[in-house]
Amino acid sequence: MNKLTKEEVLHVANLARLDLSEEEIEKFSYQLKEILDSINKINDVQISTDELFIAPWTNNTTLREDNYKEYTMKEDILNNSSYRFDNFIEVGGVFDE
Amino acid sequence: MSKYIDMPISEINKLLKNKTIKPIDLVNECFSRIEKSDLNAFITLDKENAIKKAKELENLPVDNLLFGIPIALKDNIVTKNLKTTCASKMLEDFVPIYDSYVKELIDKNNMIVIGKTNMDEFAMGSSNQTSFFGPVKNPWNKSLVSGGSSGGSAACVSAHLVPFALGSDTGGSIRQPSAFCGTVGMKPTYGRVSRYGLIAFASSMDQIGPITKNVYENAVLLDAISGKDERDLTNIDKDKNFTSLIGSPVKGMKLAIPSFYISDVIDKEILNKFNEIKYMLIDMGIEIDIVDMKYLENAVSLYQIIALGEASSNLARFDGIKYGYSYKKAKNLEELYKKTRSLGFGDEVKRRIMVGSFLLSGKNKNEYYDKALMLRNAFNIEFDKVFKDYDLIIGPTTTTLPYEIGSSLNDPNKGFLDDILTNPVNMVGLPALSMPIGFSSNHLPIGMQIIGKKFDEKTIYKLASFIEEKLNLDLGGAYNE
Repeated sequence: MNKLTKEEVLHVANLARLDLSEEEIEKFSYQLKEILDSINKINDVQISTDELFIAPWTNNTTLREDNYKEYTMKEDILNNSSYRFDNFIEVGGVFDE
Repeated sequence: MSKYIDMPISEINKLLKNKTIKPIDLVNECFSRIEKSDLNAFITLDKENAIKKAKELENLPVDNLLFGIPIALKDNIVTKNLKTTCASKMLEDFVPIYDSYVKELIDKNNMIVIGKTNMDEFAMGSSNQTSFFGPVKNPWNKSLVSGGSSGGSAACVSAHLVPFALGSDTGGSIRQPSAFCGTVGMKPTYGRVSRYGLIAFASSMDQIGPITKNVYENAVLLDAISGKDERDLTNIDKDKNFTSLIGSPVKGMKLAIPSFYISDVIDKEILNKFNEIKYMLIDMGIEIDIVDMKYLENAVSLYQIIALGEASSNLARFDGIKYGYSYKKAKNLEELYKKTRSLGFGDEVKRRIMVGSFLLSGKNKNEYYDKALMLRNAFNIEFDKVFKDYDLIIGPTTTTLPYEIGSSLNDPNKGFLDDILTNPVNMVGLPALSMPIGFSSNHLPIGMQIIGKKFDEKTIYKLASFIEEKLNLDLGGAYNE
């Protein structure tokens, strides 16, 4: 197969919280397959180590002290949202009516 | 018409010090050139504040080399009260409420921000064609791509629209457009430059770095943008002195060329030019060996897994609620997320977050992601081995010359294949620089990459500045008044 099935495309789109048009589903079914074929080549590689390298991180300590600072930009943050209501950000319901 | 921007910054500095010119003259020259330019290198210009800053500087002493120098910032570096779009519809009207750390340092050094440069959407691409605001044209031939994702930053420096720009590099996004546009671009050691205020793509690889006309100025600018920042826990401040080895003897240096970097994946003209440099260096008493490094041919698959996995997680924050584009007619939260993201992201971003989410879901995490992290470790071991015996690794920056705008749009792997020589260093956090080493037969710039040990940018600059001086290339050709 040189393309993903419609169900497969809809599955990955849902994982990424995307809503695709029919046209996009068709286009991505080929394009995603091409990327996944490229990725699958990693399964042919004989790797000499089984240790995981998560990040090129050279700091010894990654934790800071657990204290807090007063945050002064509350107004700015609230104003950045399209859904400001008083001192809150108002969002729609999780479920349909 | 003044030509201060064409001068080395040391000359500009003298003119500012002896009051022959004022910072406003530099700002005016930049905007006059930008307004005549059709490269599409900028997304947002900030003329008003640039002029205001230049006027303020008139009353201050010229106390450092970067004082009054105009600079352009890639549009994924957040700037307080100045629109930062990431070249995406998602952030088309986004005005940040804080400055990135690099912007704070630019202000501290009294440099002048001119505007925000065009880029691939969310830095995803290698040709600047995924930008919501259209592609950047290559200053050397306007029908060709600038490279990416920092295409606007490389193009505006190459065309002498501004003396300096900052880019970011996750898989080659500073070095590859630098090679295509004939500029000097450095991807510093991971952790060297704080990522505070850099909109994240793949957090374990992203680094901000300088793009300049020459090597010395690159080192000076890197010095200015690096330092200790508590807000990025991966940030480390050590071993700077980037210019300290420039001019010191290169005889006896030991360089390695991975055999893959001179294999038949590389364009013949690029290879020939690179070989000329190799023989020139050997003639100068530098030892060069071809070394076998395993796995380099697997760099694309590895990068796709690591980068897209991290990207899918980082871009989950774009929910249409907190900031950025929002689909206003949603009936519930799920629809708000999905419609906002579907309408806000372009195709390249959609492909990448779909693949990334897939790779991290369920059993795929073991099958792909863990395997990739093992391969990443194997890369690290290979680089360590080479650096036991050699000071630097060299090779071409790109496998091809700049290509036609529009020619690669149907190949979803093209943007990844372009990075095959540059992304290995992002995997393991090493510093690497691209510099121009000459031109193709049709007068397009060719770039060479120099890779160093961690926190040893100064040795990279040492070799780069030696090569630059030997070649003495005329790189002014991209600027047409």
